[in-house]
Amino acid sequence: MTQASFFPGGSQAARGLLARFPFMPALLILIALIVLNGVFEPNSLSYRAIRGLVSTYLALMLLAVAQTYVVYAADIDLSIGAILSLVNVSVIVLLDIFGGSPAMVLLACVAGVGIGALCGLVNGLVVAGLRLQAIVATFATSILFTGLALYVLPVAGTPAPAAFWRTYGGSFFGVPFVFAAAVVTAIVLYLLARARLITQLLAVGDDAQAAFQSGLPVTAIRIKGYVLCGVFAALAALCVTGDTASGDPLVGGKMVLNSVAAVVLGGTALSGGFGSVVGSVIGALIIGLISSLVFFVGTPSEWQNLVQGLAILIALMVGVLVGRKDKS
Amino acid sequence: MSAAPQTSASGTGQFAQSAAVAKRPLVIALGLIALLLFTGEQLSPGFASLDQILRLLIVAALLGIVAAGQNLVILGGREGIDLSVGGIVSLSAIIAGNVMAGENGGIVPAILACLLAGSFFGLLNGIGVTLLRIPPLVMTLGMLGVLQGLLVVIRQGIPSGRAAPALSEFVSQPVFLGLPGIIWLWLGIGLLMAFLLRRTVFGYRIYAIGSNEHAAYMAGVPVRLIRIALFVLSSMFAAVAGICLLGYSGSSFANVGEQYMLPSIIAVVFGGTPLSGGKGGYTGTMAGAVLLVVLQSILTTINIDESGRQIVFGATLLLLMLFYGRGARMRG
Amino acid sequence: MSKLVLRDVRKAYGATVALANGALELAEGEVHVLIGSNGSGKSTLCKIVAGSVRPDGGEVLLDGQPVTVSGPQASHALGIGIFYQELSLAAHRTVAENISLARLPVKGGLFVDRQRARTIAARYIAPFADVVGAGFSPDAEVGSLRADQRQLVEIMKTLASEAPVLIFDEPTSALDRAQVDRFFEELRRLRGEGRSIVFISHRMDEIFNIGDRVTVIRDGRTVATKTIAETNQAEVIAAMVGENREFAIPATSDEGAATGNELQAPDGAPQSEGESARPVALQVENLTGSGFADVSFSLHEGEILGFGGLHGQGQSAVLRALYGTDTTLSGTISLAGRQSEVSSPRRAIREGFGYVSGDRGRDGVISGRPILENVMPVHFVKSRRPLAVPSRLNEQAIPALSALRTKFATLMHPISSLSGGNQQKVVIARWLIDRPRVLLLDDPTKGIDLSTKTELFALIRELAAEGMAILLYSSEDAELLGNADRILVFNGGAISRELQGAARTRFNLYEAAYSAAERAAS
Repeated sequence: MTQASFFPGGSQAARGLLARFPFMPALLILIALIVLNGVFEPNSLSYRAIRGLVSTYLALMLLAVAQTYVVYAADIDLSIGAILSLVNVSVIVLLDIFGGSPAMVLLACVAGVGIGALCGLVNGLVVAGLRLQAIVATFATSILFTGLALYVLPVAGTPAPAAFWRTYGGSFFGVPFVFAAAVVTAIVLYLLARARLITQLLAVGDDAQAAFQSGLPVTAIRIKGYVLCGVFAALAALCVTGDTASGDPLVGGKMVLNSVAAVVLGGTALSGGFGSVVGSVIGALIIGLISSLVFFVGTPSEWQNLVQGLAILIALMVGVLVGRKDKS
Repeated sequence: MSAAPQTSASGTGQFAQSAAVAKRPLVIALGLIALLLFTGEQLSPGFASLDQILRLLIVAALLGIVAAGQNLVILGGREGIDLSVGGIVSLSAIIAGNVMAGENGGIVPAILACLLAGSFFGLLNGIGVTLLRIPPLVMTLGMLGVLQGLLVVIRQGIPSGRAAPALSEFVSQPVFLGLPGIIWLWLGIGLLMAFLLRRTVFGYRIYAIGSNEHAAYMAGVPVRLIRIALFVLSSMFAAVAGICLLGYSGSSFANVGEQYMLPSIIAVVFGGTPLSGGKGGYTGTMAGAVLLVVLQSILTTINIDESGRQIVFGATLLLLMLFYGRGARMRG
Repeated sequence: MSKLVLRDVRKAYGATVALANGALELAEGEVHVLIGSNGSGKSTLCKIVAGSVRPDGGEVLLDGQPVTVSGPQASHALGIGIFYQELSLAAHRTVAENISLARLPVKGGLFVDRQRARTIAARYIAPFADVVGAGFSPDAEVGSLRADQRQLVEIMKTLASEAPVLIFDEPTSALDRAQVDRFFEELRRLRGEGRSIVFISHRMDEIFNIGDRVTVIRDGRTVATKTIAETNQAEVIAAMVGENREFAIPATSDEGAATGNELQAPDGAPQSEGESARPVALQVENLTGSGFADVSFSLHEGEILGFGGLHGQGQSAVLRALYGTDTTLSGTISLAGRQSEVSSPRRAIREGFGYVSGDRGRDGVISGRPILENVMPVHFVKSRRPLAVPSRLNEQAIPALSALRTKFATLMHPISSLSGGNQQKVVIARWLIDRPRVLLLDDPTKGIDLSTKTELFALIRELAAEGMAILLYSSEDAELLGNADRILVFNGGAISRELQGAARTRFNLYEAAYSAAERAAS
């Protein structure tokens, strides 16, 4: 089967750029979307609007990052939505019981991250340890985690203490918390990209057999990937809690498929071994900006979902087509 | 290794294992169904009554019909999966409801319209997966988003629509030998699938591309054409399920189909078709669908909270998965 | 004392005995050559040392201590470094990352120390610096490298393990002469340091160049160990082939092959005189594509035309192009005087081509499916019928399979239940139901035991006698010399010489292949 190269001969430079920065196509789409948003609604580029966008989509960005780490190793996690929900309600209920003092808020957040890591560990043991297929196994754990979330908080609605959402929505020395959080996240991601675990995850995703033969503890690495995923899903949950200021045992369910879409949009291969978290963050922003653009161009409300769905589908296809490297 | 049949004399250990596994899922599923029915009867007398079993079979038939298409796509390999079936089921239910609008005379046009719509989206999926080489998960996930958007548009402009009386009767009332029409339909689909997979060149080719796509291509199998056909068939089965779902519930409501998306995959896996494709069949999937439905139903009869039900359901699914094709251990 | 000792190691897969009695004594500071034909058990022996296969019995001693190698991690820990024939590289990672993948240098307990990884990589790249070629650097992605460069990375990775025991499983197959020379210099240096090295290769000249001792393995048994100095090529080949001369294919049964002397064409092979009288089945003119250029030849009905030369000189590429899987850029292909367009295997089958690949696992066997389903696909293409009636299919499959004396229990048994040779017979049986006009054989006996080879070539000659035109590429010169009526020697993607009649000698074949190779290298 012959496969035509996407780049006509001679664009070696573009190809090299793509190899180093797999998120290039996504970045171009993002810039185009920002420009279009600005054209149709100049206010969308205002400080306020951007702050609103970040505070709404920070959770999806983190969730996409979480998904990226397991996709690196050619795994997938359909339970991150349920993890997010479980952490969200756990934090809310902890604060409801023990009061919302600042120290307690911090403690609850740490506990939440711990719960996320634990859920990730369960996924890792089930998928890598017991060698179940990731898609169906994490679907099963998502039911399990959702059940736990429902047990912790049967109905949505318990509010978060003021200390929580005031912090998330507030500012420090003039810098909005969400921006500070985004910057801290960026630094963490930058450092994490250099961690040995990331290289190992990518090597496993590249060719698990080769990684195994090279002497890498493949199972342990995949489990660690799931734990990392659980931690970032928990961080996403904290953002959701800050943004919505309440607990909802089903809040994460709808975000699962978007997290996968964001990862693919960002140029990370679902087959593993190749990609970047930067791309996933961009992917999450693309999803956010597509929905705001659909709104700004004046799409009738009932058509918004369809146009958004089509735009995401097209962006996914473009991303996969451009990001594809020739394989013999 | 477990007690494998003595056929291994001529083959390797791996073969004996795979042969044993290939035969097991159906047996496992049927055994578990019997066990669950027995347990259910103990917990709540009447659970395993004929009436109740028929009711369960109707629900299982809805899932099983969706799973038929899912099964085909998965059998075809190359990470074949169809996440858009949920959207198609919903879309088909809405289209059918509006076209027939409660009139028996509208049933045939409704069926045609649904199959047409289904095959259109299936074709798009197939083209995306083969010609543009988008991974099936991505393609059908994107398509699901489009379908969900389309549903919003359609629901905005038109009423939800009603099932024709004959359709509702067909789905839930006995039509022949005491069995409702949908169960006959399901059995018919079961026969059709068995015929398709075991007695047609098309069926042989599905297994061939699912087992070793490249070798199949080298042996002259039109790989792309087959794969497109699989996605079209998947959407058409989902469309049929949508029509039946309309008959079952009387009217269509938003996103009714989404509950079938992942369970249809689980039914296939519990039926002994691994997600890697190339082996398995529909008989097991039918048992898998019944197993899932009985399991869910037994959980609703137990007097526990929704949360407990979900926890038990999730844990049971994981437990059951341990019986089915676990991945190979790493070997250098 | 011996560094590594394997004693009476056994391994069977079901009824197939892969290793009946493996014994090996690896001394300190030696390069120990392990040689045996494909399927003789040497890869199983390697896998046991690597820990990827558990032996059924026997013992492995390291420094005199019995050890259990439970997996690659364990073998690394025990100080055994392995070069994997199929390479163990991560394509998207850099050269530096791959070289130290197993023990990435870390700083701060968490982060990859890229600088140090680069330094380490540079240390192992240095000896090869002037032979690695363009585009090779510690930061290059392995997937972007050429095949020979990837093989060098695997070599560097093996060396970077700094293990006292190094096992190289066919490390030189893609390397050019200068790269091999440099690699051998490294091996000699390591030997000087006292390392113990197992070297597996099919190239006789390399074996006698680098080896200290040689162990021959045949039919799962290690049959002889000798020092290189006290043996010669003829003796080694004789030990590999063994006493069962009836299993040997015609060419190797000839005394000439065993002694490496000039080999005359066996009497059984038809002479090329009079070939031209037969109608031309296939005419290829100025065919150019990826991996070959300007290839022209004609093939007559009933003729076996051999493609010879060193491995990977465009022979397979031409065959695949004729079968429609590789693109052709220009040139014409005419079947029986009619120009044909082959854009896919499906088209090629309908045009009258057949193709058998030596890479069964990738191109041939539909793994996990019954034998019947593995025989029928080509018939489906030709018959254009929609239904598959098992009884009728059986009637067609059984004669085809028995023509090849395929051993199988029932047609419904999975093809994976058969031995490699029998699997290949099933793949070939595809072409016996509806026979093609031209059969393309792309190294069809790779990894197949001698007796099956003999049967296959008997069948191939039979098919030719019945009028089928056959193109045969084989990586084993003896097969070409013993079976082909004419041989086209390929070099660098072009035909460099045609050998006919009495000119079909091992000497001429080697000369055509190697002398041209030197010209290309210089």
